[in-house]
Amino acid sequence: MFVPSNPFSIIPTGRGLRWSILLFCTLLAGCAASRPVADAPPLTADALSRPGQVEGHIEVWSWNIAAKALQQLTPTFRRQYPRIDPNVDMTGANMQARLLLSLASNVGAPDVMQLQCEEAPHYLCTGKLADLTAVAAGFQKDFPASLWHNCVYKGRVYAIPWDMGPCAIYYKRNIFQQYGIDPDKIETWDDFIAAGQEILQKSHGQTKMLPMDTGALATMYQLLIQQNGGQVFDDNGRIAVNSPQSRQALGVLRRMLQAGICSNVKMWGQEFMAGLNNDTIATYPEAAWFAGTIKDAAPDYGGKRQIWGIFRLPALVKGGLRTSNLGGSVLVIPQQCRNKPAAWAFLRYALCTAEGQLAMYRSENLFPAYLPALRSPVFDEPDPFFGGQQIGRLFAGDAAKMNILNRTADWMEALGYLNQTFSKWADEGMTDTEALAELEQKLHRRLGVEIAPSSPSRTAHRTRARQSHDEA
Amino acid sequence: MKLRASLWRHRHFYLFISPFFILFAVFGLYPLLFSLYLSFVKWDGLTQPTWIGLANFSTMLDDDILRQSLWNTLVIGLLYIPPMMILAFLFAQALNQSWLRMRAFFRTAFFLPCVTPMVVISIVFGLLFSSEKGVFNYAIVQIGRLLPFLHLGPIPWLNSEQWSKPAVAIMVLWRWTGYNMVLMLAGLQGIPEDFYEAALVDGATPFQRTRYLTLPLMLPTFRFCLLLSLLGTVYMFDEIFVLTTGGPGTSSLNFGVYLFNLSFVSFKFGYASCVAYSVALLLFLASLVVYRMNRQEGE
Amino acid sequence: MRNAPIGADIQRAVLYAVLFLLSLVFLFPFYWLAVSAFKSQAQIFAMPPMWIPHPARLTNFTEVATETSILRAFLNSMITSGGHVALALFLCSLAGYAFAHFREAPGNEALFAFVLGTMLIPGTVTLIPSFLVLVNLHLINSYWAMIIPGAAQAFGIFWMRQYMRSSVPEDLIHAARIDGCSEFGIYWRIALPIARPALSALGIMLLIGSWNNLMWAFIVLRTKDMLTLPMVIYLLQGEIRTPYGMLMAGGLIATLPLVLAFLLFQKHFIRGILSGAIKS
Repeated sequence: MFVPSNPFSIIPTGRGLRWSILLFCTLLAGCAASRPVADAPPLTADALSRPGQVEGHIEVWSWNIAAKALQQLTPTFRRQYPRIDPNVDMTGANMQARLLLSLASNVGAPDVMQLQCEEAPHYLCTGKLADLTAVAAGFQKDFPASLWHNCVYKGRVYAIPWDMGPCAIYYKRNIFQQYGIDPDKIETWDDFIAAGQEILQKSHGQTKMLPMDTGALATMYQLLIQQNGGQVFDDNGRIAVNSPQSRQALGVLRRMLQAGICSNVKMWGQEFMAGLNNDTIATYPEAAWFAGTIKDAAPDYGGKRQIWGIFRLPALVKGGLRTSNLGGSVLVIPQQCRNKPAAWAFLRYALCTAEGQLAMYRSENLFPAYLPALRSPVFDEPDPFFGGQQIGRLFAGDAAKMNILNRTADWMEALGYLNQTFSKWADEGMTDTEALAELEQKLHRRLGVEIAPSSPSRTAHRTRARQSHDEA
Repeated sequence: MKLRASLWRHRHFYLFISPFFILFAVFGLYPLLFSLYLSFVKWDGLTQPTWIGLANFSTMLDDDILRQSLWNTLVIGLLYIPPMMILAFLFAQALNQSWLRMRAFFRTAFFLPCVTPMVVISIVFGLLFSSEKGVFNYAIVQIGRLLPFLHLGPIPWLNSEQWSKPAVAIMVLWRWTGYNMVLMLAGLQGIPEDFYEAALVDGATPFQRTRYLTLPLMLPTFRFCLLLSLLGTVYMFDEIFVLTTGGPGTSSLNFGVYLFNLSFVSFKFGYASCVAYSVALLLFLASLVVYRMNRQEGE
Repeated sequence: MRNAPIGADIQRAVLYAVLFLLSLVFLFPFYWLAVSAFKSQAQIFAMPPMWIPHPARLTNFTEVATETSILRAFLNSMITSGGHVALALFLCSLAGYAFAHFREAPGNEALFAFVLGTMLIPGTVTLIPSFLVLVNLHLINSYWAMIIPGAAQAFGIFWMRQYMRSSVPEDLIHAARIDGCSEFGIYWRIALPIARPALSALGIMLLIGSWNNLMWAFIVLRTKDMLTLPMVIYLLQGEIRTPYGMLMAGGLIATLPLVLAFLLFQKHFIRGILSGAIKS
């Protein structure tokens, strides 16, 4: 029994009508309200021509000691820019995920954001960061080329280097003295290995030379190829991991592992940290910022007896480069930032002035990437914890000479594959050539990136092709 | 044109169900297909996607962390599901006794965890599990003092790779027992009263009644609780995301948190879709097989 | 029932004792949450544990109210949860009613089977594309991002259909039609009031899920003024120092509404959970 209703009965009446209209209107209102406004104008060279005129609130995201350093910087910054009000947000819970979500959805990103050097290239190519070229290009000469290189994408500047991680060997003087090792005589990695074997023998196997996490060999490998000028990706982003430099680096790692001088402990794990407080590990090849870790972890053991010292990184061959880099970070301004002049004013003060960079070095030990700051006498001050050594000067020494290590958008993912393959190499007895060939193929397949023509696999292929051509 | 007339006559039907289909198209069907496409590309959600064919699937085969997360899921599930089911059944049995007083109080006590925001629960448990300043370890140490032969010492709940999974399991047990208790209570109340009367007439002991009457009749409920718990463990998120974030290391990383990290921390949209699809299909096939086996058993 | 022998009395006493003890164990984390909200950081980490805060500290609440956006978050949670539950109840009951009472409509059964089939799709598979859809609709960081997805869900439709089918008499609907009542009017004025128990059970089920939702809020809510309670509490955990007193106070604020609601409407709550269970 179907009784046809009137054709307008589709439209609700009475209370239902009112409800539906209300619902519909709020729906529309909601949609309209959340439409994002157009991008703010780009930065121009005269953005800060009148410091007193730039104003507004800016939100800065950073973590840990880096955030503390920025926070302590704001009072002096506000003396120059009284009308800018920076707020450093350090609620660290999953900041990177929140940043990526905000970049992907074009809403909610901070005005200034800290990124790790290693992951910065991933962000540079997204078009989600503000182009700083107009205001920042002039600062290129003030930063080590190795760091600046990874702040640039297709000729445009999107990030400014903040701190860096020049590397050296942290060693325990008491162990070296006890076994008669002279740190000044260690000039190459082979000297280093020989010293390690001596310590191992004389301590009856109790003291290993260095920690080496065979699950995370990419770190040491990276340190070594940045020293000898090797690359994972060439200048065109092609896979260049199968190179003589890589073989040289793996050779060093292999000799270390075979000499038995490595303590296979998880990086940052319990035993790794415990090694800072006992005699199980003699040295830590690490970056400048590791000094803070040692001071925190070993105040009694190391501080009172002043047993810690540092010496320059051994070279791959005698007379070779004795520095490398691990870690470091940059600051960026997301494209969605509404007040780019104010954000740039803060960023420039923090990173592109000796005043800003030195303040952060003093307060939180962030090692400045800004070269003019490194000329400061602060770096000549002896460090009592390290037995009065001028460790700042030692780290600053070769910083400008560091080699460029190309990092692509896939860098972090590539590091994962490096770790996988190298741990297989270490544990399952692959040869260096096999490991590099496999790694090259893996990177090629997983990242969808071409292999550089310099690779032996491609030259072999070419030779074969030429031979068959000649035969024909 | 009879069909058209019939369609027009029932236009309200289509109008009334249309919101579901519109929303499903936008938030269900389209995502489902798009996710399938994503399984074959490499994409970070910011730049252009690149087609990489089956590379995501081969990545999955030697993804140690994926394997670890599935293993952890299994271990956590094994740690908490059996005790939870037993406890929930005993609670349900007890609360089903007609002579029991203060039933509302007990029910509230056991059920309250289910209505509490997981993020709050996880933070409170984070405090309770603290190695040096936590109430649990305080209690353990006190018991250890009273009963020295047990050799009890403080447990590094959240700081050790061995104990992080039990810690998660304890919290999850606390959170979900009440829920399963209610489900089982519903199952128990669905058993007709005269079954028991008949059993009493036959002179069955309480144990016999439970063993030969209640348990077999409750089997569908158990199976359902088990299925819910298994799926819940695989896709569990808040609990682990807040309590341990999967750590230390990857010792308490379950599949749900692993997938979230892959999607929204690493922003590997392509690979994450591939993993999500594959595991969902595997689970679907597995439950299909279990269902078939159950049916054959029943026949 | 016949009188139980003395042995049974002892059994009962033991059962009471065990149940009582276990319920204390289950309530303990709530107790700890409540007392910690009145403690200072030092008192929270005191050893031996401080069972009753002394001196009790009220500043945690004022601090969490002034130093974080928790009050705003409370409002946001009310809006998003309220909106989600209202919209979901409306859409599910509308579709449920249609499936239950337009039985002759061509395709009714097939469409309903399709609706049930959608329950097999796990949310994790559609998570990323759903986020992208919201990005393209410019709905990220709006209340709608929390309200709309999942508002028309298969289970709700199934639940409402079952109830409408068994409880809303077909004759009543015919009579209303003859009286000239519009189709929407029949649903709104006749079917809905009858289905109130089913609505409240489903509503409570939806409310628990929506009020406690952390993952989706993490993904779609981007600025401080839009965050809901679970997100604000989650973000209070700092990397360096977590203000536990404030965290506990905030946790209490986020927990109390549903706990109070549970204590007041226990029966509906339990039925709501059961409704979630009949999925199979």
